[in-house]
Amino acid sequence: MKPQIDQLLGLTAGQLMTEIAPLIPAGYAQSQATLGAVMLSLAAQQYDRAAEIRVAENRELRALFAELAPLVADADLKAKLEAAAPGEDASLRISALDDSNYALRRLLIALHAHVEELPGATARGAEKRIWSVLRAAAERRQLFLG
Amino acid sequence: MSGDLSEKLAAYLAEVLSAPDLTVSELARIPGGASRETYRFRARYSDGGTRRERALILRRDPPASLIETERTTEFRAYQAFHALGLPVPEPIALELEGGALERPFFVMEEITGCEVSNILAPDPYGARRQSIGEQFWRNLGRIARADPAAIGLGDLEGARDVRECWRHEVARWEKVIREDELEPQPIAHAAIRWLKRNPPPPAAKIAVVHGDYRTGNFLFDAGGDIRAILDWEMTHLGDPLEDIGWALDPLWSHGDPTHPAGGIAREDGLRLWEEESGMDIDRDALQWWEIFASLKGIAIWISAGREYAEGRNTEAVNAFSGWYCLAFHNKVLAQRLGGEGP
Repeated sequence: MKPQIDQLLGLTAGQLMTEIAPLIPAGYAQSQATLGAVMLSLAAQQYDRAAEIRVAENRELRALFAELAPLVADADLKAKLEAAAPGEDASLRISALDDSNYALRRLLIALHAHVEELPGATARGAEKRIWSVLRAAAERRQLFLG
Repeated sequence: MSGDLSEKLAAYLAEVLSAPDLTVSELARIPGGASRETYRFRARYSDGGTRRERALILRRDPPASLIETERTTEFRAYQAFHALGLPVPEPIALELEGGALERPFFVMEEITGCEVSNILAPDPYGARRQSIGEQFWRNLGRIARADPAAIGLGDLEGARDVRECWRHEVARWEKVIREDELEPQPIAHAAIRWLKRNPPPPAAKIAVVHGDYRTGNFLFDAGGDIRAILDWEMTHLGDPLEDIGWALDPLWSHGDPTHPAGGIAREDGLRLWEEESGMDIDRDALQWWEIFASLKGIAIWISAGREYAEGRNTEAVNAFSGWYCLAFHNKVLAQRLGGEGP
């Protein structure tokens, strides 16, 4: 589809920021127009990256669950991790990816809290592994201004 | 709507100020955050035979607030610190019932001839950086030095026991996160657990905590003077290090965390705060409050994003908070707690 959606959003943001907002008297309305332009620009970034971000994060979380499930002492949590680990995203719709992502993130919260309570070097290593996944996810979801 | 609001405001102020000839003009909405609608206006009236013109600000509750703040607290904080001589606008009137303007509101003095920094600007103060940076920390030190009871704020919400400040604030913001998160937040929950496992030492004292002391929340003039500290709506009692942690947060550093708030070097600022407050800063405790600050940010951004997503407050700043600011603080906390922190 040409023009592409991110191009359209980016150009509209630029026009709003540099051509329209300056014509509005300084104050609330101008501020809203400028921030609206910023949001369009962020939406343009999201358009191109949204599916990739979610697919990558879901894949990493499932791999993490497969790796750490053997350490988990809680039988119920262990079963949930083992059930989630082999899953895959059948649909690439953002809403579907978000649904599976939220379920995986809920499981990650439970896994992380559980691992923190386990004694020993293996558990500490698992914690580091979880944080490496969280750091990568946070990095991947960064938005950039300007 | 503006004309209608002007008339209602004029009628209200005429009664409050006992000035039946009072008129309101030049009413215009200005940016002022998502938690209140902010308007600038001029009031003209007779006062003991003298004709007066005052530049004033109206802060009115929106249909939904970013954080459920107590406008009475904000108004009282303005009163207390204005009286103490800090650069704070003079509060004029507080209306809790809101009948006059449909929603609760308050009116205060407008500090004219000033600007406010954009948190996204790389160099917000230019040649005024040193002067503004020094005042930024000295003013915060003066807030911390104040005796809450002596300035009439001893009954504010917050901790009363120096050992409980951290617990009180973690509980407050954990509740916001649990109630408002529309998607699971593993970094925030990990941070909450870390904060509980690694509590800071007791506060040096129970102080008035501004609650949102940062770049973007004060006005400065062309001469490099801070003329008004604003946005006292999250003011409470607690550990004075809480305000420092928030002021130091990288989100408010204009891209350079070594110069918090876009001002002077971090250690220089902390030294000025110590001089002004009369307290020493426990650097380990401060590190805890810095991590807490990013968690508090996450809570506020989650709440803002929810307001927007559910249509209660569709100010663009709420969407920006839910996207950009939340992603920013998730990254900060992941780095700090996950092994790459400062």
